[in-house]
Amino acid sequence: MNEQELIQGLRSGNETAFKYLVDTYQDRVYNTALGIVQNAEDAEDVAQEVFIQVYRSIHSFKGESKLSTWLYRIATTRALDLLRNRKSKKRFGFIQRLFGDSNEPEFELPDFNHPGVMLDKKENAALLFKSIVQLPENQKLAFVLHKMEGLSYQEISEVLKISIPAVESLMHRAKQNLRKMLEKKGDRQ
Amino acid sequence: MNNGKNNKADEIIDSLDGIKRAAVPDFFYTRLLARMQKKEHESSPQNWMLRPVYIIAGLILILAVNIVVFLNNSDETTLADENDTLQQSIASEYSIADNNSIYDLNQDR
Repeated sequence: MNEQELIQGLRSGNETAFKYLVDTYQDRVYNTALGIVQNAEDAEDVAQEVFIQVYRSIHSFKGESKLSTWLYRIATTRALDLLRNRKSKKRFGFIQRLFGDSNEPEFELPDFNHPGVMLDKKENAALLFKSIVQLPENQKLAFVLHKMEGLSYQEISEVLKISIPAVESLMHRAKQNLRKMLEKKGDRQ
Repeated sequence: MNNGKNNKADEIIDSLDGIKRAAVPDFFYTRLLARMQKKEHESSPQNWMLRPVYIIAGLILILAVNIVVFLNNSDETTLADENDTLQQSIASEYSIADNNSIYDLNQDR
């Protein structure tokens, strides 16, 4: 099934087309979300929401970009939304704790271990993921899409709707920031 | 020394090189379909109308309409009272009787 046939199938509500879409793109969407939210359950939630959104809004897809680009765009937006919600819940949880009526657990999320990292790099990767969380949103997206999904700068520029030099700049600043954070952590240890 | 720190940081940054794509958990598609069906059920009109937020908003709206109507009515009463006082003062100033009925005048004749 080529992309045009797939889009036509989705528009006509064909379940086989939808299953094909999910089978083809589920790992890319899940892996992208996992890199951003760094939690398996949340990443699955994001991935499900992405496919539901695609199913509902396929009629608004104009076909100006590739289907995969559109999927990556929805996945990154949804993952960032989840992070923002998590942050605001944390803030609200603090206020609730002040009034003593919060049932939220007070512990931080444990270190994230990506299942695809090679065994000898697991410790370093865990340190890196801790720093990725602190990057500004656009730098985080560029870094995750490039390093974890292997997208080229051209593809990232299409997903984020920015120019290629802007992607290069984001990657450069992301690496600089990560280096600073990691050096600081190294000094403390 | 600084170079050593840089090298260590770069080594950590490069730790994602050669990473394999994570695969979705088993039965992802089944759970996705279940979620879609649940969402379709949730978005039916009877259900969203019964959500507490809409019920509370409805009650607040009814209360607000009542308050506005009550305030408007009390304003009209005050205005009517003011009109009555003005009419009485004009009547007394020009010596116009309250019961200036034409039948009374005819009786006098």
